[in-house]
Amino acid sequence: MSDTSPPKRIEIARDDGRDVEFEPCITVFTCIYCGYTSADTAGALRLSYPPNIHLVRLPCTGKTDVLYILKAFEEGADGVYVVGCSLGNCHHVRGNERGKARVEHAKKLLDAIGLGGERLEMFFVSGGMGATFARYAEEMTERIRKLGPNPLRAKGTRVAVGDESKP
Amino acid sequence: MSQNREAIVNHPEAIGAVLVVGGGIAGMQAALTLAECGYRVYLVESRSAIGGHMAQLDKTFPTNDCAMCTISPKLVETGRHLNIEVLTNSDVIGVKGVAGNFTVSVRTRPRYVDTRKCTGCGECADVCPVLIPDLFNEGLSARRAAYRLYPQAFPTAYAIEKRGIAPCRDACPAHQRAQGYIALIREGRFADALRVIKEDNPFPGICGRICNHRCEDACNRGKVDDPINIHALKRFVTDVVYAQPRVPPEPAARRYSERVAIIGAGPCGLTAAQDLCKLGYPVTVFESLPVAGGMLRVGVPEYRLPSWIVDREVQDILDLGVELRLNTTVTNLDDLFREGFQAILIAVGAHEGIRLPIPGNDLEGVLINTQFLRDVRLATLSGGNPGGNPARLPEVQGKRVLVLGGGNVAIDVARTALRLGAREVHMACLEARDAMPAHPWEVEAALAEGIIIHNERTFLRILDDGRGRVAGVECQRVAHFEFDEQGRLSVEAVAGSEHVLPAEVVIFSVGQRAGLAFVPEDAGVGLTPRRTIAINPNTYATSRPGVFAAGDSVSGTSFVIEAVASGHDCAQVIHRYLRGEPLEPKPRPDLPVVKLGEAELRERMRRGEIHITHRVPMPELPVTTRRSTFAEVELGYTPEQAQAEAARCLACGICSECLSCVYQCGVGAIDHDMPEHVGELKVGAIILAPGFMSFPAEVAEEYGWGRYPNVVTSLQFERLLSASGPTSGHVRRPSDGQRPRRIAFLQCIGSRDQQHDYCSAVCCMYATKEAIMAIEHARDTSVHIFMMDMRAAGKGYEEYYRRARERYGVRYTRCRVSSVKEDPATHNLIVRYVEVETNTLREEEFDLVVLSVGMSVASDMRQLARNLGVKLDQHGFCRTLPFEPLQTNRPGIYVAGAFREPKDIPQSVTDGNGAAGRAGILLAAARGTLVRQPEYPPERDVTGEEPRVAVFVCHCGKNIGGFLDVPQVAAYAATLPYVIHAEHNLYTCSQDSIAHITEKVKELGANRVVVASCTPLTHQPLFQSSIRAAGLNPYLCEMANIRNQCSWVHSDAWETATQKAKDLVRMAVGRAVHLEPLHTVTMPVEKAALVVGGGAAGMTAALSLARQGFPVHLVERNDELGGHLRHLYYSLEILLSPDARADPPGAPHANPQEFLRSLMRDVQAHPLIRVHLQTEVLETQGVVGRFISILQTREGEQLQVHHGVTILATGGVEYRGPEYLYGQHPRVISQQEFETLLAAVEGIAETDRAHRAELPDHVLMILCVGPAEEYCSRICCNTALKNALVLKRLKPGAEVTILYRDIRACGFKEKLYTRARQAGVRFIHYDFDRKPEVMGEGDRLRVAVWEVALGQSLQFTPDLLVLSNPVVPAEGVRALSKRLKVPLDGNGFFMEAHVKLRPVEFSSDGFFMAGTASYPKSLDETIVEALAASARAATVLAQDSIQVGGSVAVVDASRCVACLTCVRTCPYHAPRIVPDLIGVGGIRGAAQIEAAACHGCGSCVVACPARAIQLAHYTDSQMQAKVDALFGNVVSGARITTWQGDTIYSGERGTIG
Repeated sequence: MSDTSPPKRIEIARDDGRDVEFEPCITVFTCIYCGYTSADTAGALRLSYPPNIHLVRLPCTGKTDVLYILKAFEEGADGVYVVGCSLGNCHHVRGNERGKARVEHAKKLLDAIGLGGERLEMFFVSGGMGATFARYAEEMTERIRKLGPNPLRAKGTRVAVGDESKP
Repeated sequence: MSQNREAIVNHPEAIGAVLVVGGGIAGMQAALTLAECGYRVYLVESRSAIGGHMAQLDKTFPTNDCAMCTISPKLVETGRHLNIEVLTNSDVIGVKGVAGNFTVSVRTRPRYVDTRKCTGCGECADVCPVLIPDLFNEGLSARRAAYRLYPQAFPTAYAIEKRGIAPCRDACPAHQRAQGYIALIREGRFADALRVIKEDNPFPGICGRICNHRCEDACNRGKVDDPINIHALKRFVTDVVYAQPRVPPEPAARRYSERVAIIGAGPCGLTAAQDLCKLGYPVTVFESLPVAGGMLRVGVPEYRLPSWIVDREVQDILDLGVELRLNTTVTNLDDLFREGFQAILIAVGAHEGIRLPIPGNDLEGVLINTQFLRDVRLATLSGGNPGGNPARLPEVQGKRVLVLGGGNVAIDVARTALRLGAREVHMACLEARDAMPAHPWEVEAALAEGIIIHNERTFLRILDDGRGRVAGVECQRVAHFEFDEQGRLSVEAVAGSEHVLPAEVVIFSVGQRAGLAFVPEDAGVGLTPRRTIAINPNTYATSRPGVFAAGDSVSGTSFVIEAVASGHDCAQVIHRYLRGEPLEPKPRPDLPVVKLGEAELRERMRRGEIHITHRVPMPELPVTTRRSTFAEVELGYTPEQAQAEAARCLACGICSECLSCVYQCGVGAIDHDMPEHVGELKVGAIILAPGFMSFPAEVAEEYGWGRYPNVVTSLQFERLLSASGPTSGHVRRPSDGQRPRRIAFLQCIGSRDQQHDYCSAVCCMYATKEAIMAIEHARDTSVHIFMMDMRAAGKGYEEYYRRARERYGVRYTRCRVSSVKEDPATHNLIVRYVEVETNTLREEEFDLVVLSVGMSVASDMRQLARNLGVKLDQHGFCRTLPFEPLQTNRPGIYVAGAFREPKDIPQSVTDGNGAAGRAGILLAAARGTLVRQPEYPPERDVTGEEPRVAVFVCHCGKNIGGFLDVPQVAAYAATLPYVIHAEHNLYTCSQDSIAHITEKVKELGANRVVVASCTPLTHQPLFQSSIRAAGLNPYLCEMANIRNQCSWVHSDAWETATQKAKDLVRMAVGRAVHLEPLHTVTMPVEKAALVVGGGAAGMTAALSLARQGFPVHLVERNDELGGHLRHLYYSLEILLSPDARADPPGAPHANPQEFLRSLMRDVQAHPLIRVHLQTEVLETQGVVGRFISILQTREGEQLQVHHGVTILATGGVEYRGPEYLYGQHPRVISQQEFETLLAAVEGIAETDRAHRAELPDHVLMILCVGPAEEYCSRICCNTALKNALVLKRLKPGAEVTILYRDIRACGFKEKLYTRARQAGVRFIHYDFDRKPEVMGEGDRLRVAVWEVALGQSLQFTPDLLVLSNPVVPAEGVRALSKRLKVPLDGNGFFMEAHVKLRPVEFSSDGFFMAGTASYPKSLDETIVEALAASARAATVLAQDSIQVGGSVAVVDASRCVACLTCVRTCPYHAPRIVPDLIGVGGIRGAAQIEAAACHGCGSCVVACPARAIQLAHYTDSQMQAKVDALFGNVVSGARITTWQGDTIYSGERGTIG
């Protein structure tokens, strides 16, 4: 395969959301410390949670940028949440508190533009709390499922996250 | 000052390596610090992984940090450090040599898993059938024999635990791994169970029926109730598996050409044939009979062993490729050699029955056992009997049969005759009933079927009926008989007891022997007098080379399992013979046989691991049916019965060597024959940090641990709280799994009692922590802690204790509970205690009782100490020298952590660092001589290249591949833009795969690598190094976590998991395309230190660094060195030393003033130390490794010094406040003043108060004065006890009363407390809400205190009131902290980078702290801390240069408005405004971020309102690319740019599709 050849298709068109149950696509920002570790721990404990979440690593939730959050929604995320260390236990002193403030700010922006701040959340865990991580994944998937698809996406289309190509 | 002085001088021929014993937190820290300082480190750990006790903890006090989160980076760091070699499963067994040059012997017990090959995938544990209590979970859950100590453990490799050989296996001649298949049956894995059996025995169906099962006699379970019904289980397995259609085994591959002939297709010959065929030899088996199976097929009756089983098991062997020639009698051996066979095994068995030489033995109707049985079996052979003698059924129907003989074969003959329709069957034999050679159960079966047995008869002749036919046997009663050495029988018969047993058929069954007609005299094969073949018993070799013999033909008749055993052995011998190796077997790992003793079994029953359960009975055919049929008598277990029976197994050997793991392991990492290894290490110094053992709770029987299920130890409770523990963090009580609402903690279990005259120092705090955590888990939990004193003596501990009471409502009661009772109905526990306030006896019921067990030293530490020649105290803790708290009695051997005194985590870390510092002084001359540096090829410049991404997708065995379609993910990856290559590997992290990645990257010219596997937290460095080895910058690697965050959490949805894995790979590729090579800049290190503070801490740190070869500027603001130490005359340690009485406190080596003088002398004399008195630090600029400071003298003179590190040791001062009339009444003084007074009286101190040098008759002391009500000043209790004891020594009649809140005599200081009480010091407890009242009445003092237990106020009129004023921060510390930008805590002490793991470091790199400046501490703690700080500082100074850069924040000055936001945001003070830089609009002044100070958190990037900052490796475009890729957009047109810091990439974005 040539490195420049265009990749196979990615989009799957859907007529409407009525026939198929809506499966939200949720972007999760975690710090590389407790946030990411708790996700790893959930795996090590063989817990099960919905596959709707996709993790993006940040060095610290102090690097949570309101722009990243908004961009994710713009791209088509139905929900976004941020997972950092327990408050008071940030590996970079107070980064998680900064992250928290930004998430709160972004919630207000989402409210203002009509997307709704409830599509965004922040959670605090310690690395061993795999079960809690799994529970948050479940809760957020459920919450976004109730809220419905991200209205920013073109009506009737679904930016799907797969392809039909087979080897 | 020390007996050890010569060791302090650098050893000129020292070895630059250090041995650290113990992989807990202290040992790991010592190892890391030494390795960073340039020494090679061997870290010896007795368990299979490092981590120690800390890894078991849930949270740590007082911050409630997750213990695992804090320790796991240390584990990774220690494990991956190039200069730390971790030796697990290892013990030090001996030391030779002297300080600087030791030779250490280390014994490494086999792990049975090759750590270099093991990828830690865990599949061995998944298939391991053995369940044992998981001691990491303190026995609250089970684990497998193949295990990893805990999920985050290092090494990540698994280990297999073996205790020894199970007795069942040992007893079996073929060493059948019974424990293994029993465990597999319990798991319901019947096919696997059969595979295990077949490892040792090709005839499981046969042995399951007819073996004499010696295994059951040896079974340890028999000591509890009944032995496991092993033979029934074995039979069960074959019944289940053989009910399925047979799957023929794959033919064995030919590896050798030498042909082997085997004479005899019995169990021995066929076993050997199978083994040799599997080894790769062409094998031919010659059998004279028309069927294979030997005695099994023609000797054992059908009702015991159905023919089809023999045929099936023989066929399994033949299908391997063994050639079988039936009806072929070998007539001589030479023919075989001529035919081309190069080895011959004679295994003809013993098929010739013996006819007793008595008259009438050839009459018609006289039969022979073997012939009789063979005829019965062959007559029923379907398809005729081509070539052989036609067999016909013996005529016994309707006749009276007499069998002569009492063995198992005789019984077979008798029972067969019965089934053929004999009218009556009798047996007669020499032996008495209970001495019959037949098994008792066989005799029972015969009797049950109506066979009549005539015991103790000898046979005189067989009577003729007159027509040449048998009429009966004339017998005589036997009085006594015996066999001589040649096997000849002599019988003493009872005279006159002749009688006749009438019979129509007589069958001899008195033994068999081999038919050796084909071995003529001249064949070269010798025979024994008993007509068996003569062999060397070790090698089975006969007297003719190339000819071997085994089985019944050499041993005489024996059991099938012995034939199998000899067949196996013989095959190995023949293999060695054909390969030209010595015939004698090689020695194998010598494992002990596990014999469980009474005590252990009782203990395990008490713990509830074993319950009396008798064996599951074997269903049998009713006797009435049996007589008329050849159907099997024993019917076999059902699966439920078999699993129930198998569950009774005690798993004696732990690992049963069932080999399930060997079959499963994809990388061939498991080796069950791994031997123990003893090696020698050359090191210059040794650090002992073996840690502690929790006090065994079962010893304190009165609390019912082990008897009452709901009494748990604190460590068990810790595991119950832990999210990764046995209950996933849900606190459940063991008896019923209910949530406990009422929890009691009993303190000081195994501490502060008759046997343990010490305090374990941590229990008060961990109980408080566990109480808080329990309440946080469920708010309605109530916790009651029963304690003697609250010993919250540490930074933040008092505040933590207060929070527990006030915010969480934890109740604390001062009392020692004497016992615990259980309500048997509810399993609730009843605690009786005396409530002090009301002086009443109370009873309280709890759902759960937690025993706060103390620290003790494991008994094997005594052996370690003996091996090393190190002295221990009576409790087993390591003795150290005065003023050298880390030095053992043997020079060059240091001690750290709880092994020298109970202590908590930060102190252990400090100890580890301190011991590393001590070793660093000794070995300074050899620093850097034995370290290794990673060697990489030059980095390839990829600038300007289009991205070329190589993707490697990992199966992780079945961990990923078992739950999603890995090949499909790889194929998908290949379709993504810029991907030039995608492949999938079984284990991407295995050694060969790592090398393969390197090769592949080179071959393809790839410039980005994506690995889709497990978590980057553990594996990223590995893959980074593999691409670095290919010449790629390590930052060009990206990982997709498709295991922990995909296959493991979506394990029930194949399609979805596959889809998500594709998403994750696409996201990784999306980001990888944007990754940029990052480079670090090398800056030389200023190899000098600045030490601020000239007290004990500062001087010790300065000397330590100078002795390691680093110049030191020692700055002291006062006129002279010495600090606080100037006021210390008596040392606690000396009072506590066992030699205390021999060495009065004035003795030179025990005198703190003498120590001070020698310290000052050494400091002043050292050429590398420059002392600056009356000087302060004005300002420090720069970053770690390169500081410039300005010092200013009192006269205003300024001096600029260059240094790489700064140690702050500015000390503290004794509080001087107005409480309790201090400074207002002449009879009120402080403890420091009192100590000086005592010393002045004794003549070892000069004081201006010397005129008062007369000792008081009554001293009252008040503890916890002023600020000490807020925080614990840690040393005041001990100083009060010390001074009281000194006073009592100087004036035994003096009265001393101590008013205290808690006596916080932690660790060995408890002994001071004990000694003070023994000396008659009076202790009165008071509370802060009712403090003592002090009134001055002229020259006299009156003190009133409320005594709780008495319920009344007590009045005192002491001569002297001594106040334990706490230590408070020295003046000027606040100003200094501002100047140096280092943080202070709420009480004004220095704040460490991490309260647990970095106690002597500031969060700003290059700054360290020591001594009282960070918290009040005793002299020995100060010395340790100074050594620790110097050791950490040396990790910087030992480097020639520092690497700066990498993933750090970079400012684009042209966008900067110098608004100071970044300066305020950064927790590390990395950004500053540089006036020379030109900012936005050409205005002078812009921010610059010191790469050396930046930790790469990115907080400033987001905070910057001008978006002028980017964080390398996490640039906006890289972050955005990942999110874009999630939604299907991959940025195209990217080119690699080398990160310049001021360019922000903007590419065009295209949608894939």
